[in-house]
Amino acid sequence: MAPELALAAAARIDADRAAGKPLPALAGVPLAVKDNMMLTGTRTTCASRMLENYESVYTATCVQRMLDAGCLPVGKANMDEFAFGSSTESSAFHRTNNPWDLERVPGGSSGGSAAAVAAGEVTLALGSDTGGSIRQPAALCGVVGMKPTYGAVSRYGVVAFGSSLDQVGPFGRSVADVALAMNALTGPGRDPRDSTSQDCPVDFLEHLEDGVAGRRVGIVPALMDAEGLTPEVRAAVTAAAKSLEAQGAELVEVELPNLDAAIAAYYVLGPCEAFSNLARFDGVRYGYQEPGCASLAEQSSLSRAHGFGAEAKRRQMLGAWLLSSGVYEKYYLAAQKARTLITRDYAAAYEKADVILMPASPRTAFKFGEMSDPTQMYLADLYTISINIAGNGGVSVPLGLGADSGLPVSAQLVGPAFKDRDLLTFARAVERGAASADGSPALAVAPDFAGKGGELA
Amino acid sequence: MALSERDVRGIADYARVALTDEELTEMTAYMNGAITGVLEPVLQYGEADVPPTFHPIGDLSNVMAADVPEPGLSIDDALLDAPSPRDRYFRVPSILGGEE
Amino acid sequence: MKKLADVLQDWEAVIGLEIHTELTTLDTKMFCNCRLSHDDEPNTNVCPVCLGLPGALPVPNRRAIQSIVKAGLATNCEIMRHSMFYRKHYFYPDMAKNFQTTQGPVAFCMHGHLDLEVAGRGAAERPECAFGEAEAQSLASASANAVGLSTAMSDHLPEGGAARPKASSQGTYDTANLVLPERAEDGSYTVPIRILRIHMEEDAAKMVHVGGEEGRIGGATESLVDYNRCGTPLIELVTEPDLRTPEEARLFMEKLRRVFLTLGISDCSMEKGSMRCDGNVSLRRRGETKLGTKTELKNLNSFKALHDGLEYEICRQAEVLEEGGVIYQETRHWEPSRKRTVVMRVKETADDYRLFPDPDLAPFDLTDEFIDECRAEIPELPDAKRDRFCEQYGLKRADAEQIAGDPVTAEFFEQACRLAPEKAALTVGNVVVNLLPAYDALTPAQVAGISALLAGDAISFAQAREVLDAVNGTDLDPEKVVDERGMRQVSDTGALEPVVDAVLARCGEQVEQYRGGNRKVVGFLVGQCMKESRGKGNPKLFNQLLSEKLSQM
Repeated sequence: MAPELALAAAARIDADRAAGKPLPALAGVPLAVKDNMMLTGTRTTCASRMLENYESVYTATCVQRMLDAGCLPVGKANMDEFAFGSSTESSAFHRTNNPWDLERVPGGSSGGSAAAVAAGEVTLALGSDTGGSIRQPAALCGVVGMKPTYGAVSRYGVVAFGSSLDQVGPFGRSVADVALAMNALTGPGRDPRDSTSQDCPVDFLEHLEDGVAGRRVGIVPALMDAEGLTPEVRAAVTAAAKSLEAQGAELVEVELPNLDAAIAAYYVLGPCEAFSNLARFDGVRYGYQEPGCASLAEQSSLSRAHGFGAEAKRRQMLGAWLLSSGVYEKYYLAAQKARTLITRDYAAAYEKADVILMPASPRTAFKFGEMSDPTQMYLADLYTISINIAGNGGVSVPLGLGADSGLPVSAQLVGPAFKDRDLLTFARAVERGAASADGSPALAVAPDFAGKGGELA
Repeated sequence: MALSERDVRGIADYARVALTDEELTEMTAYMNGAITGVLEPVLQYGEADVPPTFHPIGDLSNVMAADVPEPGLSIDDALLDAPSPRDRYFRVPSILGGEE
Repeated sequence: MKKLADVLQDWEAVIGLEIHTELTTLDTKMFCNCRLSHDDEPNTNVCPVCLGLPGALPVPNRRAIQSIVKAGLATNCEIMRHSMFYRKHYFYPDMAKNFQTTQGPVAFCMHGHLDLEVAGRGAAERPECAFGEAEAQSLASASANAVGLSTAMSDHLPEGGAARPKASSQGTYDTANLVLPERAEDGSYTVPIRILRIHMEEDAAKMVHVGGEEGRIGGATESLVDYNRCGTPLIELVTEPDLRTPEEARLFMEKLRRVFLTLGISDCSMEKGSMRCDGNVSLRRRGETKLGTKTELKNLNSFKALHDGLEYEICRQAEVLEEGGVIYQETRHWEPSRKRTVVMRVKETADDYRLFPDPDLAPFDLTDEFIDECRAEIPELPDAKRDRFCEQYGLKRADAEQIAGDPVTAEFFEQACRLAPEKAALTVGNVVVNLLPAYDALTPAQVAGISALLAGDAISFAQAREVLDAVNGTDLDPEKVVDERGMRQVSDTGALEPVVDAVLARCGEQVEQYRGGNRKVVGFLVGQCMKESRGKGNPKLFNQLLSEKLSQM
């Protein structure tokens, strides 16, 4: 929690309001920030012992832009350590519960961000998505979560996991809220501090309410028939497709034959980039330093051994092996070729369809400690990872509660690179279809938390 | 060919991750499982007749910044998170250690 | 140990250089907007990027890229349109991220060359057997187990591949297009030295080792890190191992320094470490086809150290080999005070740098337009300037080379020439080479003035020093000083003859010696004449008159 920062920001907004000054678009909106994003005045821990006491000395561009738009930084959100995970269980500090069922995980790695929005503690939250880390927790918590196209939002000041995969995006309870956040994040143009960021010169609200009549929605049969996809999720996504069709959209079948290649590439590229990005944590300039070491090598090795959790060490070890001489030549090039294959798949699919509709997660939120079956993990990855490998955008939209579990289920829309506004137009159409008659979002604040303070009318 | 504990010890030494003997055994098992389970599948794409994609950013290239100075961090901020600063420096213990 | 000249009769020394140059004339670092540090307090010019803070990202400095392209164009390199930055990993606190951002198999500049003119005493270092037929045979056989980096490393590896630069010892030494030097009558020769590549990277932080001997790492109880230098733009030039003598290596470094100074991309100070050189050297017996094992020399931090370090190392290797010993591939430190190389005591970091393309940096696809812009900003380079100075001002080649090599001096020279009478240009060159270095505050006009006086025989060279002492740091006109002090020398034969006669009459002993065949005695007699005329007589005229009269006596 960062009450001083939030109160100070609120006081500035109040003063401007009293003085009759024009207020920014998100004036006074409470914001949670994933704890891998720098914000001066807060610690940025990445939910790791390594950075337990790390005081931010600068502010990430994405956070600064949300503050410039008027947001109140209420606090930092829990996550899987260094974003390695999909349940937030690997946080070194504490667990984060799913607001819809406190015995279940919120998903991850941006689980804290998704849960904070679902519980009504904040209206908007920022997360980062390397292999599904925004879209999957959004699905499990029943909120809207967007991974924009790689490069649309600056990564400057966000602790890197996989530099060619990471992308920052917003969580909100409605597509319109997410569109507002996207405006704040991309409005000022590309970030000169991030070489990979690009201009995204659109107003995300402008076409939000446009109809989808005559537009083409791609369905990938293999993804709808995948083993492990629960009937309730399949039914909900199918219903979303029907609702788009009812709004005049045309459903077309598209193929993504190289989804397996995308996953294989991810398992290679992720550790390689993670090893490289986490090499800097050696306890010299910052981070945990093992006391009483006689030599530099001893200090580095013990600081890293005791500062990092198990998963962070495992990924770095795999990365160090994958990049080693003789191994790199075989694996890394193959992964980058696989990347080309999936990118071409998507390009071909977008010849036929404007967006593709698919599940965001094959199932609803699972219980703590439940997810250890590698096959299940693989299936979950199937829906999210290829978007990070290809770099295009995806958004998770809540569809209500599952018929069997009574927990939130979601659909995912993915679109071509830098067509993120279009993506939100379709997301809004899905949301409209799933909404109750009064047009409000499909899911509001989780019932146990409704009316407990954070919820804004 | 599976990695031996000796191989894994070498990687850990390079990656500066101290492992106890028990952790080494666990890590070796984990890595061998990961290699055959999730890493090796990528090898089938090595011969694919397509160019590699290093950056998922389309045609973006030649990104550069102007050679114009901007203020950096104050010395206090620079050393704020340093576990053992010394005067204006970051301190590290003996680089050669006890071998001297 | 045997002397270099003897060693090189039996052994061929194969030398390659790796030269790092900091782009000190830029305003900011390679990947961030921190000011470049010169003598600032420790950790003054640092930011999240160059401190490697979590979340920080690099953005390349446009002027740094322009600078390396200029360096490549000026050294006849091919400018590679497509290249990428790579990460080179090693755990050492002088690199804030524990990796260095550098380039991969394809550098911005590849396959260049500089033609080296080797003249004077240094030219004798290359023995006769290293010219002509013998050298041709030797080169033709040099293929396997080469030292140094090689063209083979990158020729067949498009940037699209996942290939990495190979460890240097694995390369081959391509001698197919090597031009053989021919020795001219005066002993000089010209040899092209090929440049494998020039790549862009970032410099490391400075470490202060506390508690050890003379600040060395050995015995230090702790080390302190100052990241001011971390991230300074650095270009690394790697030559093919085409150098054969320490003198050639020294001259190459000097020549490269003149080129970079002229380009204005660095202050090129070896003393301050903004230009640093490592030397790779191996020996093989003349006529041997296999190249020997190389050692790498560090701490060659002056032109003299570069020459002497290589000379020592060549002689050391010869001794080891002649005694039946083995040369190990190792890094050695040149100790100038003890005139020897010693094995570096720093623990070697792992050789496997785990290079891979930096995902935080977009690739480069340099356009013709960008390259042409760089080309347009390249000033006249030292070789062209030297040739023009010879042509335009009639300078001696050596003087022209020296003046043209330093852009400030060259500009000063040309300004002075514009202010001096046309026929005095040669004298201006002479003054600039021989007198200017002793003064710190002369203007081109003053040098033009003194040159005009010298060229018109109004004063002697010795008098010129007195005049320059007087005008240095003032706005005084040399001609006025000469007139005020009545220094103008007498060049009237009628006025000098009585002086000569008086001296000859007085110095009978020397006249006898002259008659006995000692021609050197004329110098003494000129000196006596100068003394007699209180320094005002024209020594050249005295010399002439003395010679005439003595030969008649």
